[in-house]
Amino acid sequence: MVNIEINGKVIETRDGVTLIEAADSAGITIPRFCYHSKLSIAASCRMCLVEVEKAPKPLPACATPVSEGMKVHTRSPKAIAAQRSVMEFLLINHPLDCPICDQGGECDLQEMAMGYGSGISRYTEGKRVVHNPDLGALIATDMTRCIHCTRCVRFGQEVAGMMELGAPGRGEHMHIGTYMEGTVDSELSGNVIDLCPVGALTSKPYRYTARPWELRSYHSISPHDCVGSNIRVDVRNGKAMRVVPRENETVNETWIADRDRYSYTANDHPERLTQPMIREEGEWIASDWDTALTRAAEGLKAIAERDGAEQLGALASYSATTEEFYLLQKLMRGIGSGNIDHRLRQVDFRDQAEQPAYPALGQAIQDLELLDAVLLIGSNIRKDQPLLAQRLRKASRNNGAQIMAINAVDYDFTFPLAQKCITTDLGAELSGVLKALLTLTGDSAPDSLQPLLTGVEPSEAQQNIAETLKAAPQATVLLGNTAASYPARAELQALANLIAELAGARVGLLAEGGNSAGAWLAGCLPHREAGGRAATVSGMDWRAMVKAGLKGYLSLGIEPELDCIESAAVTKAMEQAEFVVALTAYTGEGLMAQADVLLPIGTFLETAGSFINTEGHWQSFGGVARAAGESRPAWKVLRVLGNLLDLNGFAYTSAETIRTEMEGLFGDVPIGNRSEWTMSEPTKLHQGLLRIADVPIYAVDPMVRRAMPLQATADALLAVRLSANSRTLEKYGLADGDQATVSQDGGEATFIVAVDERLPDNAVYLPAGISETRGLGGSFSPIQLAKA
Amino acid sequence: MSEEKITLLSDASRAEIDRWVAKYPTEKKQSAVMAALRIAQEQNGGWLSNELIEAVAHYLEMAPIAAYEVASFYSMYELSPVGRHKINICTNISCMLRGSDEVVSHLEQRLGIKLGETTEDGRFTLKEVECLGACVNAPMFSIDKTYYENLTPETIDKILENLE
Amino acid sequence: MQLLKSLTLKELRSGLGVTGRYFFRKKITVQYPEERAPQSPRFRGLHAQRRYPNGEERCIACKLCEVVCPALAITIESEQREDGSRRTTRYDIDLTKCIFCGFCEEACPVDAIVETRVYEYHGEQRGDLLMTKEKLLAVGDTHEAQIAADRAEDAKYR
Repeated sequence: MVNIEINGKVIETRDGVTLIEAADSAGITIPRFCYHSKLSIAASCRMCLVEVEKAPKPLPACATPVSEGMKVHTRSPKAIAAQRSVMEFLLINHPLDCPICDQGGECDLQEMAMGYGSGISRYTEGKRVVHNPDLGALIATDMTRCIHCTRCVRFGQEVAGMMELGAPGRGEHMHIGTYMEGTVDSELSGNVIDLCPVGALTSKPYRYTARPWELRSYHSISPHDCVGSNIRVDVRNGKAMRVVPRENETVNETWIADRDRYSYTANDHPERLTQPMIREEGEWIASDWDTALTRAAEGLKAIAERDGAEQLGALASYSATTEEFYLLQKLMRGIGSGNIDHRLRQVDFRDQAEQPAYPALGQAIQDLELLDAVLLIGSNIRKDQPLLAQRLRKASRNNGAQIMAINAVDYDFTFPLAQKCITTDLGAELSGVLKALLTLTGDSAPDSLQPLLTGVEPSEAQQNIAETLKAAPQATVLLGNTAASYPARAELQALANLIAELAGARVGLLAEGGNSAGAWLAGCLPHREAGGRAATVSGMDWRAMVKAGLKGYLSLGIEPELDCIESAAVTKAMEQAEFVVALTAYTGEGLMAQADVLLPIGTFLETAGSFINTEGHWQSFGGVARAAGESRPAWKVLRVLGNLLDLNGFAYTSAETIRTEMEGLFGDVPIGNRSEWTMSEPTKLHQGLLRIADVPIYAVDPMVRRAMPLQATADALLAVRLSANSRTLEKYGLADGDQATVSQDGGEATFIVAVDERLPDNAVYLPAGISETRGLGGSFSPIQLAKA
Repeated sequence: MSEEKITLLSDASRAEIDRWVAKYPTEKKQSAVMAALRIAQEQNGGWLSNELIEAVAHYLEMAPIAAYEVASFYSMYELSPVGRHKINICTNISCMLRGSDEVVSHLEQRLGIKLGETTEDGRFTLKEVECLGACVNAPMFSIDKTYYENLTPETIDKILENLE
Repeated sequence: MQLLKSLTLKELRSGLGVTGRYFFRKKITVQYPEERAPQSPRFRGLHAQRRYPNGEERCIACKLCEVVCPALAITIESEQREDGSRRTTRYDIDLTKCIFCGFCEEACPVDAIVETRVYEYHGEQRGDLLMTKEKLLAVGDTHEAQIAADRAEDAKYR
């Protein structure tokens, strides 16, 4: 600790911090532009010049470390003169277009100019004009306004891990731009908008639509991944105008992913369902709530009375609120059916009874930064949970963490991989790692896992993974979204558990969607009720429901043919069902063909509720935007439906009353992340050409799929293609750019072929969740490929 | 993709770059970027194409924009084709006081081009540069790697005539 | 003394004197509508939106008039026009709310919203007094010469 004096105030501070950090923690404001606590120090703007006694010149507070007895003046005549001079220079080339600038009213430069600028400019020469590069669909540029703080460049280099923006040129000719006018494609790119202290980088969808003083800010939580990013929604006249991050060091720091930032643009998509609709003799007619709800209740009741309640099933989105999950399962169990599921991208449910209370990360998100070794199994963490990947990048950069991956696709990560195994047989790789570990520790595997280990000879990579995990003081094994939809998921988890146990590592499950944890705890599962209790009426998982061909379905917030991993099967089941009620915020081709009653519900912006993130952290939020048309929050619709079905306990007055009831039920949930499952027989994997289907970053839920700015990004545009490595393509007589027809599960589609050497042999990559692949089968299942 | 880019660098260039890379720690390959860009420029007849910059970036495992930042910062790297001989005229204060303006106007007149341009026959490129550190014998210019000092119109003519 | 005053009717006569003086003096009453009262160039009457000489509307949707308006009479919606410029899609002034304080004109960085000398207007329905962007631009187009002359005259005091 050192003692310094700032403006006469004695401050005790940690050794090695900079003056600006010391001043910030003491509540003394020093003006700054280029300094940002999450980025490296550039000291390029010079706005933070302060007077330090015995120093001959003013010093930049952001780049000057404290030392014992330092006497600093931030408001002395000398300091202020320095700051005013810097401001005069900054304003020389800055245009006076505040009235048309989106940053106007919340601009650092504008505010600082009020404090340090002079009323009149002495500069009479011509101002610099800079060409505006097109950075893509998300970020608008007005580069003449740039003051060269290079925060955006440093963000790309250090945080996002993709140096896309740079500052070519020198002196006055320096400008911010991309290489060869390329777009900025990072999944975290939107954060540069918040970082930009002027209006050089602004949000394209928000451009010119509102001014900051017209906006009312509300707190909310992002529903698109299991991080539960804290967001602030800015609302004007009941309409969400933009989403920005809200600082929460333990969850999302000061960042959010582009998916969280721009999904609001789908809130008034033309496909928004604004009034209840019923199908009358094959024709859709707009209806009112009374008629539609009565129709829905009667239809469900009729099937329950005639064919038995077990002929009814409920399918829910991964991203519904905990309250909605709870009411949905309460309603279904009230009717007498246990067929409830939300795990629509899972196909292997053998170990469900032994699963932990909810799929958890098994550690605090913050602690990911401290890891020394990480094994990713079946995870494209960078696109699926961008902010968790950002933490791993930090671990790699600051902590030298060894990150290793066993994946079906050699995904591009923003951290180097110490080891990687790319294969469609994830289980075999894990078996190898386990075998190597067993040899290292001298333990033996439980009998039930023996069939997976017979004849396994660890490869060098597997051996290395085992050794690294064992040697690392802080290690974690993470099972990602590909692992969750793997046909032999139970084996993967059992192997991962054992590997972690032997290596002294933790296990983390990276859940799909925004609220998997909430769904598990609320009992939106066939085998468990709220709070993890075993179900009294057990039911079928979604795959069994679809196979059994139930008579009636109730869906919550999904488009079945896109949100279920096996599109063909679910489409068929829905179309053949007698009666389908869909609670949905959007219409869509699929639902219009499958459903009989469409009930409009609010998006996360219009609904009060709570999400439980991957750490088990409850985060509640209120509705922030005005409901679209006649739509209602889903919990209200379910409440009325419950009442119409004459069920008890549906007299809720607010989302809080549901929450209170749930909290009582969840109270004694054991928090553990291990499962003990005894394998009876290993899953036989399919042979031949397999389809690898993950869900692209901008196809995860109906809302994201309709966010037009996100759909115009490279990530979304590149998703629509069939790719395979050159060896595989050669076998089928295909080349890059050819047209190929695939058929799977009775569905057929034609795609343009792209060579992608990141794929293993005998596999084609064709994503799920996009309209182009609807009607096809599942992931890691056989597919036929032919030249079109 | 990156493989194709790298092959733009000739084997000799790559060997030369490797010699520079070896001077730095293995994880700091990009420290050799300035030398690598210079080598690539020499290979390409005195200027760097975007493809070459990208090739250097891939070769040194850095972002293309980072290599481009370096190439666009230093005036010794050329980003568009230049003539066989590049005339760098110093116009900083010492040379200016000793008559660099006349040197410039004489050259412009004789070659029929303005500063920053290349003659039609591709022989000369005129370039205005900052101080080259030969103030004692101002005015001066450098052609390629040779300094020419105490310039007068007559000596300039003689120098140019001797160049192919 | 009092008696003398009463007897000579002094107060009555001085009163009549005032009446008489004004009776013969030049009249100041304006015979509206045949005659008009004089107006200052700063007169704050009906609002107008101006255009540049090339016909482009001046307003850039900065919304400073909207936020400064003490009567909350102005409503603006904005978006990016096809050519990339910032423009209003809606610009309404509710004259039934407006108090003609002139703050909107003061706030405008591009002299787009101005108050003209026009004070003779009426509405037969409430809605007639809601000035839309089209109506405001039409007022501006009609009176541009006068508006420009008034601004020029006042320019040296701004």
